[in-house]
Amino acid sequence: MHIPDGYLSPATCAVTWAAALPLWAVALRKVRAKLDETTLPYIASLTALSFVIMMFNIPIPGGTSGHAVGAVLLAILFGPWVAFAAVSMALLVQALLFGDGGVTTFAANALGMAAAGSFVGYWVFGALRRWRFAPFAAGYAGMAASSVVIAFLLGLQPHIAVDAQGKPLYFPFDLATTMTALVGAHLLFFAPVEGLFTQLGYTFLRRIEPELTKESA
Amino acid sequence: MRGRRALYALLALLIMLVPLGLLSPDPAWGEWEESFYEKALGFVPEGIAKASGWHAPLPDYSVPGLGEVGGYYLSALLGVGVIAALFWLIGRGLKRGRG
Repeated sequence: MHIPDGYLSPATCAVTWAAALPLWAVALRKVRAKLDETTLPYIASLTALSFVIMMFNIPIPGGTSGHAVGAVLLAILFGPWVAFAAVSMALLVQALLFGDGGVTTFAANALGMAAAGSFVGYWVFGALRRWRFAPFAAGYAGMAASSVVIAFLLGLQPHIAVDAQGKPLYFPFDLATTMTALVGAHLLFFAPVEGLFTQLGYTFLRRIEPELTKESA
Repeated sequence: MRGRRALYALLALLIMLVPLGLLSPDPAWGEWEESFYEKALGFVPEGIAKASGWHAPLPDYSVPGLGEVGGYYLSALLGVGVIAALFWLIGRGLKRGRG
């Protein structure tokens, strides 16, 4: 789901940066309020976990692969803004050091994988919090939301950017194709993986460190 | 404290297992090589062919001189190290700001 450079039109990149910058500004303020000696090691290790989890490419039928993100566990433990900032940091390291995801498309990737996943996951967890499997549902929904945002940005391209002969200039597959392929794969495979990671992580942390999950419980 | 140690242990375990992430020979949907577009469309979209921009020092989690698995290991360690260092700096800044 990491959109490389050259896949989105300059206009799309500009809009996503314009949307992401103020969100990052708010997120940094929220992070400053949340960070202290107790929370910092947890947020740091969950950010590192998010980075590593994204390296586990899971092959699926149809000749593609994908991965979980780990944003939703951060979101239900420390709030969506902290999760958005933390996963953005992991994505930035991936883009700058490893070329996984572009630099011009960094804002788009952050809006999809970091923001949409964190906020939707957080809201779903809030709505279902009495249910045993709320963390799974939150992880599932967050990942699904991420794939919708990324698929929308990619699939939009052939509708808005073609050359004189009608050939797409950037990502070539249309909205219907991209939505079906990308969102479908996530609903079937990667969203359940994110759900499982969220459920296991949350249940485990609540058992051994009840203080940490008090706010969200 | 126990939770912290458990998370560090989980992180160490995942780093050890990270070559499993290489099992898939297939790229993510949409993240294809240019040859894929050539085959599927008969051309490579101009923006993709001409994509310039950042040249990452360790593209695709590979380290020059190391094999695929070694490079993936080192990339995982390096990425986690950079994130840990950033948080260490943030923590230090925080202490200074409050002290």
